Amino acid sequence: MVDFDPAIINKTFETTEPVEVNADWIQHYCEVVGETNPLYVDEEAAKKGPFGGVIAPPSYAVTFRNGRHFFEHVPRFGRRGFDAGKDVEFVAPIRPGDKITLSSAVKEIYEKTGRSGSMVFVVIRSTLKNQKGEVVAHIDHRFMNRP
Amino acid sequence: MNSFQEINVGDTLGPLELTVSRQQCRDYAQIMGVAGIAGRFTDDEAAKKEGLPGIILPGNMSLGLLAKLVTDWIGMGNARMTRIGTTYRQPVQPDRPITIEGFVTNTDAAERTAEIELWIENEDAERLVVGTATVTFSK
Repeated sequence: MVDFDPAIINKTFETTEPVEVNADWIQHYCEVVGETNPLYVDEEAAKKGPFGGVIAPPSYAVTFRNGRHFFEHVPRFGRRGFDAGKDVEFVAPIRPGDKITLSSAVKEIYEKTGRSGSMVFVVIRSTLKNQKGEVVAHIDHRFMNRP
Repeated sequence: MNSFQEINVGDTLGPLELTVSRQQCRDYAQIMGVAGIAGRFTDDEAAKKEGLPGIILPGNMSLGLLAKLVTDWIGMGNARMTRIGTTYRQPVQPDRPITIEGFVTNTDAAERTAEIELWIENEDAERLVVGTATVTFSK
């Protein structure tokens, strides 16, 4: 059985300082991942679309850092840690000028035995809010630790 | 894109064939702010020390590529990707051709949603990254 302090579950360990999103960053992000949808890259076309202006592609939400003290609060089991996957709920669009904060907590810790042996998964839930206090996304980061 | 009424189970997304360059990989790591702390995304030697064949794409970048398939499918339509889930099974390497594909697995008329299965495959037809997404249409 994996050993950890149950008091850490669902307890927010850090809320980041707000990060202001600007249109240039969104453009650069779109170039790097190949997003060409006019909703994200063409202000004139986006004005006529459902959001009334350029928004960030949904996947932009996963580019925000989890905070400076992330690794102090996220337990490690074993030597090597990998990003095993994500579950992201996109609640509202992120727009240029938004100031985004992340609050993170350990959501779940569980052990699995696969073909290559035992693995411990640590799931961190980050909630992203904008300057109005509206939730824009929930991100569950699934980290796999191998002894 | 089609309206919700025109979406059918089995409709395909892609295939999108592409090769991510090493520079794109480094640029993504830079955007995430992990370029300086996680050499596996930027530096071949550091990646090899971790037992990897060379630099690999950050997992989030694979998520971004899968998401692009969905946002291309939606186009300027009155719908939004409201959820994506990914599992990183094997590392995705830059400079190697990959194919990104998906198909509609379910639709829900009451919620006006379409469920989509997605994956990134290498030249050997190995699924390196798999995922699911939900697209919600305006009512």
